[in-house]
Amino acid sequence: MQAHKLVTRNPRAELYYDLVELLTGVMLVGFLWTHMIFVATILLGIDVFDALSRALDDYYLSYTGIPIIILVFIMHVLTAGRRIPTRYQEQKVIWRHAKMLGGTDTWIWVFQVITGAAIFALASIHMWTVITGWPIRAVTSADRMHAFWWFYLVLLLLGEYHAGFGIYRQFVKWGWFPRKPLGYVTKMITAIILTLGLAALWVMYKLGGAV
Amino acid sequence: MNYTTIITDVLVVGAGLAGERAAIEAASHGLDVIILSLVPPRRSHSTAAQGGCQAALGNCAMGEGDSTDIHFNDTVKGSDWGCDQDVARLFVETAPKAVRQMALWGVPWSRVVAGKKVLPDGREIEDKKEKEGLITARDFGGTAKWRTCYTADGTGHTLQYAVDSVVIRLGITVHDRTEAISIIHDGETCLGVVARCLRTGELRIYLAKSTVIATGGYGRLYGASTNAIINEGTGMSIALDTGIVPLGNMEAVQFHPTGMVPVWILITEGARGDGGYLLDKNLHRFMPDYEPVKKELASRDVVSRRMIQHIRKGLGVDSPYGPHLWLDIRHLGAKHINTNLREIKNICMNFNGIDPVKDLIPVRPTQHYSMGGVRTNIDGAAYGLKGLFSVGEAACWDLHGFNRLGGNSLAETIVSGWIVGRKVADYTRGAELNYSYSLVQGFARKQQERIDKLISGLTGRENVYEIRREMEQTLMDYVAIFRNGPDLQKAVDKFQELHRRSQKIGLRSGGKWANPELTAALRLPGMLRLALCISYGALTRTESRGSHAREDYPKRDDVNWLKRTLAYWKEGADLPELRYEPVKITELPPGDRGYGESSASAAGGNKAN
Amino acid sequence: MNKQRKFSIFRYNPNTPEIKPFMQEYVLEEVPGMTIFVALNKIREDLDPSLMFDFVCRAAICGSCAMVINGKPRLACKTLTSDLKGTITLMPLPVFRLIGDLSVDTGTWFRQLSLKTEAWIHSEKKFDPEAVEDRMDNRIALEIYEAERCIECGCCIAGCVTANIREDFLGAAGINRVARFMVDPRDERTPKQYFDVIGSDEGAFGCMGLMACDDNCPMQLPLQSQLAFVRRKMLAYGLWGK
Ligand SMILES: Cc1cc2nc3c(=O)[nH]c(=O)nc-3n(C[C@H](O)[C@H](O)[C@H](O)COP(=O)(O)OP(=O)(O)OC[C@H]3O[C@@H](n4cnc5c(N)ncnc54)[C@H](O)[C@@H]3O)c2cc1C
Ligand code: HEM
Ligand code: HEM
Ligand code: SF4
Ligand code: F3S
Ligand code: FES
Repeated sequence: MQAHKLVTRNPRAELYYDLVELLTGVMLVGFLWTHMIFVATILLGIDVFDALSRALDDYYLSYTGIPIIILVFIMHVLTAGRRIPTRYQEQKVIWRHAKMLGGTDTWIWVFQVITGAAIFALASIHMWTVITGWPIRAVTSADRMHAFWWFYLVLLLLGEYHAGFGIYRQFVKWGWFPRKPLGYVTKMITAIILTLGLAALWVMYKLGGAV
Repeated sequence: MNYTTIITDVLVVGAGLAGERAAIEAASHGLDVIILSLVPPRRSHSTAAQGGCQAALGNCAMGEGDSTDIHFNDTVKGSDWGCDQDVARLFVETAPKAVRQMALWGVPWSRVVAGKKVLPDGREIEDKKEKEGLITARDFGGTAKWRTCYTADGTGHTLQYAVDSVVIRLGITVHDRTEAISIIHDGETCLGVVARCLRTGELRIYLAKSTVIATGGYGRLYGASTNAIINEGTGMSIALDTGIVPLGNMEAVQFHPTGMVPVWILITEGARGDGGYLLDKNLHRFMPDYEPVKKELASRDVVSRRMIQHIRKGLGVDSPYGPHLWLDIRHLGAKHINTNLREIKNICMNFNGIDPVKDLIPVRPTQHYSMGGVRTNIDGAAYGLKGLFSVGEAACWDLHGFNRLGGNSLAETIVSGWIVGRKVADYTRGAELNYSYSLVQGFARKQQERIDKLISGLTGRENVYEIRREMEQTLMDYVAIFRNGPDLQKAVDKFQELHRRSQKIGLRSGGKWANPELTAALRLPGMLRLALCISYGALTRTESRGSHAREDYPKRDDVNWLKRTLAYWKEGADLPELRYEPVKITELPPGDRGYGESSASAAGGNKAN
Repeated sequence: MNKQRKFSIFRYNPNTPEIKPFMQEYVLEEVPGMTIFVALNKIREDLDPSLMFDFVCRAAICGSCAMVINGKPRLACKTLTSDLKGTITLMPLPVFRLIGDLSVDTGTWFRQLSLKTEAWIHSEKKFDPEAVEDRMDNRIALEIYEAERCIECGCCIAGCVTANIREDFLGAAGINRVARFMVDPRDERTPKQYFDVIGSDEGAFGCMGLMACDDNCPMQLPLQSQLAFVRRKMLAYGLWGK
């Protein structure tokens, strides 16, 4: 290592990056899954959905939660994003490698990067529309989802994929559980959340059409 | 042309356990050491040894009361009195220390776990609380006590990795993928070697005050051998080619009872040590019929011979690869097989598609160990040349005589590496490197000429691989477990023919750079000279001793043959010149082996007791 | 009649760079129990004596013969041709320096790794030849051995994307090697010393959990748990100093 690097380098920097990547990842997954469950309250009726939304507002949970999530989101993009190879040569190696030698988990990671980048764009737009159209009420949401159902469908699929495998990968890396059963459990949870999301999307789509 | 010349204090040819251990000793005496090896050190054949390493620690229940004296007796008896007893004594006294030293260097020896256990034969034993955590041992053929220390199924692997880690820590230079192809000497003193780089094909000169041959065995001369494919005896053959340095007891070749058909991968003695049985085609356990006491755990040569004897009675199992017998370990149970014998299980699964938990393993005696080698004195100094040493399987130190005990060769590598390494250091510190430039260059030029000739293709059209296959087959057919005069004569004639033909090899590929065909062609004539030493030595030795079993001379003959064969090769000769020297007997006069065939057939013969 | 098998083998000799790398085809009769070891030797002896490849133990013990076989890094000596479908494609391992054709220099790479991770027992203890050995629990001995079983074949390195793009990455074999010393009571290194060796992107944190190592290890080392174990150890030291 060069002398400058050696002197200025914080010996724990890479540990901290990795830790932040872990924590933000886990928090985002936690958020997303709760988020999906909240949205899915529409399945229980408009009133429940609105009541929940109002309650969150009343207790200021939205006002503290949203900025925190945005912050976490940015930190996640920065720490997880540092893994994305930037040099063309590296990308070539990865593709060649994945095609020639790629094990399942290597492909999972490749898709993690791709879905991550897509989510970055889509989720930003989504957050922008939701926040600018404050407050959250079933009617407005249903309208948006009726008009842009394909947008939500794509975001749902990407988000779920990314979150599901993201959490699997974190557990694998930190090794609290063996790999095979872990994959099974995360796939189960993802399937449940996806079903909820799809059902909510369907209901919202119908609702939106009715108004 | 000038060759790259590298100068050092000590040059060790061979990075197996013996070579690296000797290198460490020399380096820790402050000397400059370079190790040469065909392969990275950790790929050396020593890593393949799974079974274990003998040392009289006496920690486990079945080893209780063990002592260096008992180890000494086992070794001498095992050797059929062919070993040098002063060497055996030195060895048994040092082995426990060497094993403990390895513990300090990182070998995770399996340890004593206190408690009662039931052996497969129903005996109940108890490991005592006060021994818990000390290095334990397992049973091995030909030993009176359980004395074979081990690390699960990877004794050689863990030893080699530990020793190599010390080599790395000390910063000892290793030139891997480098093959010594000739010894440089002035008729009195060894000056180093000419080596060929197996990356580029380049020739290099290594000069040193002392040179240590630690190149392992020559198993691959035989068609069916448990040895790694690099075990082609090149170190012995370059020593022989000096014309001054003799090889000792080359006719003493050990066969292992259980090479797995058809790949000849060794099924470790641990399988039988832990209670495995040998079965014939009727699934009858036949060993107790021949050896009621030791059964499957009689000395290796004895078990091998009984197996061949049994096969000759028509009781072998027929297969496309010839008749074989079965090894049965199913009764040891899945748990035991999956932990203690995991490696055996993997081998069966990977190379044969069988599962030893449920299936029988096809086995046959297979070439396994070369007792013979570069003849040295007790200090490891080779006969004939000053500054030349040898250790490990390449050497005839002579600890093993005519039959090596299982587990004694790993122990030999770390013991003799240690002892000889120190002697090398002592010698080197008092030595000077005096050489003539033209002499040294001449040795390299001679090798260059061989290479150029082979590449030019002008000397002939013989195919190196064909000659080689004929050599392998001839050894298997005529110089294997049972030997007799007419067959051995056939073998000698054949090898002489092959040796002549090997001078007329024509390469079919370019031979440039590190060309593998050239590599093989350079080795082959030397290998044939070794084959001649083996077969001619066997033909001349008209007795049976240890692994050397003559059908026409079934008895041990101490009056005429209590001596060691020394094979010399004069340049241009087509047969080795055999001389003999007495074996050193200091403590235990020749007697009954106790459980070997020689005891049965030599009864009433010329035995002292 | 036995089946004919087609082999497609990578050819290149770095000493003759003017001849570009290419794939060469050979056809061979498949005999029962044929491994890639048997096949390659047959090709060399009968068809093309210039073909370069490495075998030593031919018994999956020494780690010499790893190559990319139909897209997977494996030990050639323990791969039966009958387990492979269609044309058998053989490539040298990536990451390691190519010596020629299928032969790569894993030895130098691994020696470097041992140097970087100081893969030897660090102990102040002097050897006393007369003393009885220190005791060790057999469980711990087995635990050490479990990690020590690595044969340095390089399959885990070749299959790992990170190792393919980061030259200084120690890979699963390297991290596993450190884990081996961490569980060894004879090694006196402090957590800080270990952290200095692998508490960075060269070591524990460079691993992205791609698990190709875990999938490809021919010794079936528990690499996932070994990597995770070291990661957690590094975290423990980084946060709490132990
Ligand atoms: C399958 C098997 C299992 C075994 N199990 C046991 C066991 O359980 N217990 C036991 O005690 N013994 C066992 N043995 C025997 C034991 O493993 C060997 O005798 C011992 O390891 C030999 O060690 P060595 O250092 O002499 O040689 P090796 O380990 O063979 O090393 C030879 C070295 O020399 C190098 N070399 C060779 N020729 C040249 C050259 N021309 N130029 C440069 N370098 C060269 C090689 O690269 C290598 O590094 C077993 C043997 C086999 C075949
Ligand atoms: C709701 C949004 C998101 C959630 C729930 C989420 C969750 C996760 C999780 C849990 C991981 C696993 C961490 C790991 O593998 O190390 C991960 C990895 C990753 N995420 Fe996200 N993420 C989200 C958004 C994004 C965005 C917007 C990006 C944009 C760049 C992104 C890029 C990545 C990348 C590249 C990785 C792989 C990192 C690696 O393999 O080390 N993620 N994500
Ligand atoms: C900052 C905070 C966020 C808020 C306040 C928020 C709010 C909402 C609301 C109100 C809806 C209902 C539809 C609508 O009104 O548009 C919704 C739906 C959705 N959101 Fe978010 N969201 C946030 C962040 C995210 C992020 C980061 C993701 C990304 C991965 C995401 C993914 C989705 C999806 C997929 C749906 C559709 C649900 C379905 O299909 O049932 N949201 N969100
Ligand atoms: S960890 Fe496994 S794959 Fe990696 S080098 Fe060791 S044995 Fe080979
Ligand atoms: S494949 Fe590579 S990224 Fe980590 S999990 Fe294995 S070392
Ligand atoms: S040749 Fe030793 S592992 Fe394949």
